[in-house]
Amino acid sequence: MAAGSTYTPIATYTVSSAQAAYTFSSIPSTYTDLVVVINGTFGAFNTLFMQFNSDTSSNNYSDTGMNGSGSAASSYRGTSGNASGTGGMGATRSTTILQIQNYSNATTYKTTLWRANSPSDYVQTGVSLWRNTAAINSITFTANATTFQAGSTLTLYGITAA
Amino acid sequence: MANTMTLISSVTVGAGGAASIDFTSIPSTYTDLVLKISARTTRANEGDAISVSINGVATNQSSRSIEGSGSATGSSTFTSFRTQADGANATANTFGNSEFYFPNYAGSTNKSASADGVSENNATAAYAWLTANLWSSTAAINQITVTDLNSATFVQYSTAYLYGIKSS
Amino acid sequence: MSILPGIYASQITGHLVTGSFDSIATVSPTSSATVTFSSIPSTYKHLQIRILASVAQTVNPPFNWLVTFNGDSAANYSRHRLQGDGSSASSYGIGSQNYFELSYINGSLTTMNAAVVDILDYQNTNKYKTTKSLSGYDANGSGFIVLNSGSWQSTSAITSISITQNSGGTGLYAPNTSFALYGIRG
Repeated sequence: MAAGSTYTPIATYTVSSAQAAYTFSSIPSTYTDLVVVINGTFGAFNTLFMQFNSDTSSNNYSDTGMNGSGSAASSYRGTSGNASGTGGMGATRSTTILQIQNYSNATTYKTTLWRANSPSDYVQTGVSLWRNTAAINSITFTANATTFQAGSTLTLYGITAA
Repeated sequence: MANTMTLISSVTVGAGGAASIDFTSIPSTYTDLVLKISARTTRANEGDAISVSINGVATNQSSRSIEGSGSATGSSTFTSFRTQADGANATANTFGNSEFYFPNYAGSTNKSASADGVSENNATAAYAWLTANLWSSTAAINQITVTDLNSATFVQYSTAYLYGIKSS
Repeated sequence: MSILPGIYASQITGHLVTGSFDSIATVSPTSSATVTFSSIPSTYKHLQIRILASVAQTVNPPFNWLVTFNGDSAANYSRHRLQGDGSSASSYGIGSQNYFELSYINGSLTTMNAAVVDILDYQNTNKYKTTKSLSGYDANGSGFIVLNSGSWQSTSAITSISITQNSGGTGLYAPNTSFALYGIRG
């Protein structure tokens, strides 16, 4: 079996003043999986949306999630949307971690596993689908109806399989 | 860019057990920390809640959970970080499997952490927890202490591994 | 002609930094019902399996991957899950099983199930082996997100891992199905 060290930082961005969205663009196709770590705050708790390859109007996004509110565990579903919901971020320091596997294949739809942590609001996990077989070359994260606050960071890593 | 995720330190609990598992003098040269824990305690239950104190204190912490017990679900809030270990009533030789992810641990903002943890048991009852954790402090994390929230001790062969991840 | 001086190893600075996360092997099955990682090296502390897969099936989705270690198919496993199905969260557990499972797999050959499986201390001969995985699929109106756990009640070091479709699986995998094994040093 071949062995090789992997888990490589590709890009990182720190928000300097409040902004609604950020895009990782020109993502190299040379990795197998992508991992995104977002750590920061929104102006107010709301959904973190994710879109691929500037696809903003196709109704090609859906998601299944599980929530802990602090008093009840629940599950929800979103269908045929213009973006994938990947949990929420809040006004206290929040963390979202996303796993996008086999992102550069041009044969299958794209599935993302995610964990979202807004300690003052919800703990969440879920899976999102982009019904498009295109290789992913850009990822846009948008704060729904609010903004990423200054000091928030978004980091992209690549993992290469043997 | 160089491949990241580097082992900083590891601890294995020896004979006689341990009240805590400590990582001190954590270098500030990484971006994120990953703490992997395989633990069993002396608590008389199938599972046990374990936590981390940061920089020697357990104050200014909060967390929110989704919980599964093997038969029921729940969600709670706490004033401490939370994840799972196996307790003394679980199947022998069985240890939990948990991970904390601390992004931007050396930065000047409050610190949040994502944690997923499970205990196992050869029966219906075992625990799976997802927690969102917050340390309301702008200090850099330089010490992490894993502790039991029920005043139990970690048994021999419990382990914890601290890794650093660089974002550039 | 002057002889070019050699470079002593001691003169080299900026050494290549290698991390603790290594890729070990990848299996991209085409027609076998079972994927096996064998001869797993003993040089790591933990294993991670990253899966993106789907398989055609003769029964209605969803169904599971069944996981065993070292060829052990006896009743030496327990398994538990915390899951969301899009309408409610639920929890399940059972002991004395012949496998533990990764949930769930969708039968569509374009909608893939993803899983990240973590096995700590896989070489430790003082412990049973506990796995943790986050997995799921979404199919635009159906799907699951699941935190699975499993225990193999054996103190043997893990040297092989088999992942098998449960009944109803046809062995026909979606293109770009892959099972990738990683080792984490400790």
